[in-house]
Amino acid sequence: MNVISNNKLKSTIALAALQNVMDPEIGLNIVDLGLVYQIDFDESEKKIYCTMTLTTQFCPMGESITNAAKESLKLGFPEYEPNIKLTFDPPWNHEMISEAGQDFLNEM
Amino acid sequence: MTGPGGNTDATKTTSYKVVLPFYGYASFAFFIATALLFLSISNITTHYFHPHSLALTHIMALGWGTMMILGASHQLVPVLIEGKLFSNKLAFTSFVLAAVGVPLLCYGFYMFDMGWPAKWGGRFVILAIIAYLINVAVSMARSKHENVHAVFVFTATLWLLVTALIGLILVYNFSYPLIRGSSLHYLPLHAHIGVIGWFLLLIMGVGSRLISMFLISKYNKPKRLWLIYGLVNVGLVAFIFNFLYADSKLIQMISILAIATAIILFVNYCYRSYKQRIRKRVDEQMKVSLLSVLMMLIPVVFLIVILVLFFLSDKENTRMIISYGFIIFFGWITAIILGMTFKTLPFIVWNKVYHHLAGKGKTPNPKDLFNNTVFKYMTLIYIFGFLLFIPGILLNSTFILQTAALLLVITAGLYNWNVIKLLMHKPVSK
Repeated sequence: MNVISNNKLKSTIALAALQNVMDPEIGLNIVDLGLVYQIDFDESEKKIYCTMTLTTQFCPMGESITNAAKESLKLGFPEYEPNIKLTFDPPWNHEMISEAGQDFLNEM
Repeated sequence: MTGPGGNTDATKTTSYKVVLPFYGYASFAFFIATALLFLSISNITTHYFHPHSLALTHIMALGWGTMMILGASHQLVPVLIEGKLFSNKLAFTSFVLAAVGVPLLCYGFYMFDMGWPAKWGGRFVILAIIAYLINVAVSMARSKHENVHAVFVFTATLWLLVTALIGLILVYNFSYPLIRGSSLHYLPLHAHIGVIGWFLLLIMGVGSRLISMFLISKYNKPKRLWLIYGLVNVGLVAFIFNFLYADSKLIQMISILAIATAIILFVNYCYRSYKQRIRKRVDEQMKVSLLSVLMMLIPVVFLIVILVLFFLSDKENTRMIISYGFIIFFGWITAIILGMTFKTLPFIVWNKVYHHLAGKGKTPNPKDLFNNTVFKYMTLIYIFGFLLFIPGILLNSTFILQTAALLLVITAGLYNWNVIKLLMHKPVSK
């Protein structure tokens, strides 16, 4: 799935940081799982807006995953303030899993 | 996509403080039930209306099965309805009422004292169910999303309430003649509404969602689930009508056929979910859960054999009926709980202990919070114990029965060991 961004270069770094955040049940990172939809940078306010989803609403691990995403972005961009926006429009489905993610799930 | 702000509320799950007591209580009840099975083996296999059999059945049905399902569903209902649980306080009230009511009721049965312990026990259990029902109903009404899984859960809870009300009437019938005939006559009605209306419907509704979710399956057919829902309810209503008013062999066969078709369709649904899964590796916990789906077919076969024998000889085959009950409670219901406990509880505990550390450093994986080797031994011992018990009942062999019961005590011991390990987990940073 292609992640939308207003800053391609910085979003690549942000996605690399978010690859450290795992869905603990599946064992796959949230980027390859297709949970990250959009990453925008507000240079004047020094803020990062990350729009993401969960595999299911009210997922018991939801708060931990979004907190971990926030912490990872903080680590990758210490001078920025990360904001996580959760959306279920569109809802997550298996087609959003990246090719690398599909390979991981096939092999494990 | 939603604009700024998003839906941060959708990360707020039910508090672990509400859910964990149910898990701890149910695990202990399972150990008590297996110990009672071992210690009262000769009484339990005499007749299904023996006081010890009644006590054991209710420890298994209420203390083990229902307490575990209530606990897990307080966490899962928000996932099913895509909305918040209405009240944590109501959930905790439900726990306290059931926690007091179940031992009182079971003590009453064990001593065959249908006085205040059984009556107050029954009342508390009914109040616990009403508290749970209100919580589910208001949560569903507040959620914008309605789906088939949530309707399964709600209808199952209504049937649970009907089961408990009939049960309380049967208890009162010992003191006051409320209904025509003895309470023993109505036992099959009470038992089947509980097993089919509550356990079967609920496990089908939640299982169809969880199995598909954990396997990341492409298979999703709500219409098929609605058909299963309709068949179970039509079959159960036909059974109740026939039991109370008609006594027709034809209606009885129609009700069994409807429920058996629903079970076969559900097994097929799970099989298709399994075949169309994206996640290829299936862990031990899912294997046990899938095994329990297959185990659903065994009581159907036993019920058909019981009915055929009854039609041929016009006499109840007590051993077959006890085996039938054993397969339902110690087979199908126990297997799904043994598997699903370790698919849900580690995550609840992980959230409790490591929630504040998410993303700040290495934390253990939820799957590492319990001992998987103990889980594997528990599964093997359970399967041997379960398989050995049925020939023990049918052959009336005390030695086989005691050996099988001992294996089930060990199963419960190992299960409790892992549950306690999880509940007592303290933070460990990697």
